Amino acid sequence: MTDDYEHYEAVVVGAGPGGAAAAATLANNGVETLVLERGVEAGSKNVSGGLIYAEQSAPYTIDGLFPNFREEATERPADEYYLHNVAGNKVKTVDMTDLHHTDTEWCDSVLRRRMDGWLEDRVHEMTRETGGGLLTEVRVNGLLREGGEIVGVTCDELDPIKADVIVAADGVNSELARDAGLMDWDEPDEWFQGVKAIVDMPEGAIEERFDIREDEGEAHLFSGDLFEGVRGGGLLYTNEDTLSIGTVFHLDSLVAEQAEPHELLDALLTHPLLAQWLGDDYEEIEYGAKLVPDSKKVAHPSPHEGRLMLVGDAAGQMQAQGPIIKGMNHAVTAGALAAEAFAQAQARGDESTAGELYEQKLRTEGVMDKLRPPQYELASVVGENERVTELGERVVNSPLGRAGLKVAEKTGVLERGFNSPFVMSIMPDTKLPYVTIPTALGEALGDRVTDENTIQPPDLADRIGDLTYDVGDPHIELVDNSFAASGDAVSACPVSATDFGGGCYRDEKVKTNGSEEHLVSLDTQPCVECGTCAIVADTDWDHPAGGKGVEFKQG
Amino acid sequence: MPDIDPTDHEIADLGPKIKDVEDVQELEEMLALEKGGEDRVPVKTLIEDRIEKLSGEEETVDPSEVDLADQTVADIANLVREVDDGDVLRDMLEREKDGKDRKSAKEQIESRIDSVEGSDEDESEDLEYVPPEEKHPDLDHPTADKQWVHAIEDGVYEDMWVYCETQQGDLINVSKEMLGKARGLMDEYNEEYDADEQVIAVLIGDSVEELAEVCIAYGADVVVYLEDDRLSRFRHKSYTEIFCDMARGAGHPYGRADRPEEDWRDYDEPRYTVFPATNNGRDLSALVQGELDSGLASDCSDLFIESAMISNPAKTGRPGEKKEFDRILHMKRPDFSGFEYSTILCIDKPFREFHPQGASVIPGSFDLPDPDPEREGEIVEHEMPLDDEWFRVEVTDFDQLDSGVDLSGNDVVVALGRGIGDDPTEGIELGLDLVDQFEDADLGLSRGVITASYQFAGHVEQYVGMDRQIGESGQVVEPDVYIAAGISGAVQHKVGMDESDTIIAINTDPEADIVDFSDYFIEGDLFDVLPELTESLEKGELDVKALADGGNTTDD
Repeated sequence: MTDDYEHYEAVVVGAGPGGAAAAATLANNGVETLVLERGVEAGSKNVSGGLIYAEQSAPYTIDGLFPNFREEATERPADEYYLHNVAGNKVKTVDMTDLHHTDTEWCDSVLRRRMDGWLEDRVHEMTRETGGGLLTEVRVNGLLREGGEIVGVTCDELDPIKADVIVAADGVNSELARDAGLMDWDEPDEWFQGVKAIVDMPEGAIEERFDIREDEGEAHLFSGDLFEGVRGGGLLYTNEDTLSIGTVFHLDSLVAEQAEPHELLDALLTHPLLAQWLGDDYEEIEYGAKLVPDSKKVAHPSPHEGRLMLVGDAAGQMQAQGPIIKGMNHAVTAGALAAEAFAQAQARGDESTAGELYEQKLRTEGVMDKLRPPQYELASVVGENERVTELGERVVNSPLGRAGLKVAEKTGVLERGFNSPFVMSIMPDTKLPYVTIPTALGEALGDRVTDENTIQPPDLADRIGDLTYDVGDPHIELVDNSFAASGDAVSACPVSATDFGGGCYRDEKVKTNGSEEHLVSLDTQPCVECGTCAIVADTDWDHPAGGKGVEFKQG
Repeated sequence: MPDIDPTDHEIADLGPKIKDVEDVQELEEMLALEKGGEDRVPVKTLIEDRIEKLSGEEETVDPSEVDLADQTVADIANLVREVDDGDVLRDMLEREKDGKDRKSAKEQIESRIDSVEGSDEDESEDLEYVPPEEKHPDLDHPTADKQWVHAIEDGVYEDMWVYCETQQGDLINVSKEMLGKARGLMDEYNEEYDADEQVIAVLIGDSVEELAEVCIAYGADVVVYLEDDRLSRFRHKSYTEIFCDMARGAGHPYGRADRPEEDWRDYDEPRYTVFPATNNGRDLSALVQGELDSGLASDCSDLFIESAMISNPAKTGRPGEKKEFDRILHMKRPDFSGFEYSTILCIDKPFREFHPQGASVIPGSFDLPDPDPEREGEIVEHEMPLDDEWFRVEVTDFDQLDSGVDLSGNDVVVALGRGIGDDPTEGIELGLDLVDQFEDADLGLSRGVITASYQFAGHVEQYVGMDRQIGESGQVVEPDVYIAAGISGAVQHKVGMDESDTIIAINTDPEADIVDFSDYFIEGDLFDVLPELTESLEKGELDVKALADGGNTTDD
């Protein structure tokens, strides 16, 4: 009776901004659309740094697709944008507002549970009009194939569903992208890992401490010697009555330094520079983590296969170049373009051309160039060469280099450089721009921060304890439990730590017949589903069943 | 006072219960009780949601008044489904014609008029019975042991029969749950239909007579039992034959020819049958219902009896005609992995009866009733020849599956955490030694131990499993004394034990979270402390019970 499977014209997997944009555009084109979301509500599985952009050059923006988006689903506008270069207690702050506003129609801070939950209601209404709708707590676990061709999706909770088009907006750990063989999770240097704390602010504190009005907001970035030499940086965004404070690192660097992500976050939280904003009473509402694809390396140039199209994180469409972090806007554009492509292909009577059309649109609308800047590919050949890096480090740290920095500042070259989209887009993925230069800047030009930061962030056990879980069956299987194969996860996993028994990954010395083995064990109960261990450990990684696993209330 | 006092229940149990409460007033009372009692936020939310849902339902629109132009076609389709009055429907049709005049909307209303009033065809026309084998000569009808299915003519059906499964000489809980439910259903039934039908308990097995009184205490009016040495274990052939012989009355066309009349009954077959949805119960229910030429709703989670308005021509005999069937057992069962519920009805059709209306019931769906030892009932031993053929399958060996460990009833629980990591086997041994010092104690484990890669020696391995886990995803215990050795006290563990009267923590780390919610804290390595505790208890130097009692007055 396999022919009796339910059929929809379109199935969209995942109700984040990419899935929502795809579903809305499909619905606007009268395509019968079913949206499947594995969380208890859209947004309950999502964490992001917290800024969503609407670009002037983009063919679609989220508020264009969803009227009143800014009024009802976002926190505050990010009007001002600063980069703090930290060296010990010295900080050189560079105003990046110009770069931030380049090609930016608007940019707001968001919390994903609220934002995606709001989108969910709209998407459900819109898709219901087409004969479809949005279902939560349904986990799509793979592709349905007939004679080798993709014809639909399979789910944990429902019978397989057939569709003429499948939009995989199932996030950074996309099971559909892997099933189709379009993405893999092998190389740590293709990924970033972000962790974030949502910090409660007393009423009026944001306005007072940032000196802004209720309808204004700020974004701050941090780089330099804060993070034990791990490549990456920190961020702070103002929400309505909370702060999003997070850190984002290159995953390969985290692994190489055996760094603990939650400790790096604490290093930022407890830096004297943050005292002015955090005050004395620190109340952390939620701890979260997320893996971020590096679009320069993994944005799929041809993100489709048969009836399947990938959008957003699932296709690696996450632009993170230096201080610019743009993901959700590209997901929105890609989702809408995928939908538009299908609607056009359908109108032309040949749905099989939809994928090709989508790929074309990503190129002609300029999305691909933003995700994989051609100038980066050229520059990285030189910039990421070890000897060049070494040379660069020596020059920057030499007296001559320091003098150069001072000259650069005086002549305005410094701010211009940081505010140049071109310079930022060719930044190499080495320590040089993330650690060495910012540290040197802080040392050479920085002002000493005299505030005392007295806050005490919660320990990891309490952070895990405060999250909400509905624990189902273990969804990750440790394929090789030797420390050699999977030990990196003990430190790199944001909810595990060396010598901490309450996390996902614990290293254990096990004595058997007189010999001792160094093993890791895994308990998926505290898992935040970020996907780090899928890359750094030898696992068989799946998402939990619909409605199971972690539930973010903020995101 | 509402039927359900929320403060008596766990959150997980309340969900399904609250769903069945229809009275807003009662819900308000429950909410007040919860607020005055444990005041749990999720419980309050649960009750408030239900209140909101019920209050929402009352705001439904009145079909005779509503402005149809405001309603979508789908709304109208839903609306007319509730209307049984043809005049109201015709009025709606006129209003739609005067208003938006949507074709699809008119069709919805018209088709509803047809289904409530029936088509105008001559109703006196008698249906003609064509046996299926004549109607479909091209089909190969015979089944293995029956040529074809016939209704018994003018069958008489009464009573609700409950198959009471036993294990190791006791009724299993679901048998008692079903008896309690059957009692309630038949009491209501007798009142509703002014009848006097009974709950019949069926016991089949080795020495089951002694359980007959228990069945009566749980709600049976009559217990029919059959004992035989060969029936000590469930075997489907013999059990099916016996159940069906019991169920079919004297003179049943397909029954045993020499089956005698019985004083206590005067009917052909049971009206309803209920089986447990256990491994054996599922097996038996399918075979029995098949042999009795009826249907089965398997794995049900709720049962109720009421009439049903049916328009399916296969049941009514005439397309377009509606017919009310009364005394229908509504059998509710989860579908789509519990996303939706279907209600299964087993209804006669022309020339073909479907009795007994049978269901198997998921264990735990109904409350375990309180037994009433004063209840009186009749106990009937069923006599019949047992064919040796039915026992061709011989059970030569069997094994009892480990049913898991219930830690909740112990006076003392000794729980071990990852502090045993240096030598997990010895850690378990030391824990068990301490357990042995108490009359009523058992061993618990933190989740961290169970999910670890520790290697345990064979003799302690059996103690390490999910069934001993304490905490959010394991068991919740409240013993008089909880001894936590090498457990840091993460919040997920805490929720499983912090209601214990006296908590004694043993840990090398004086900063461990567990210290904050322990009555006594012993700083030290469990490998040193546990043996010392055991030794002092052995020598009678330490009285933990006294410690526990004292713990209330000298806090910390």
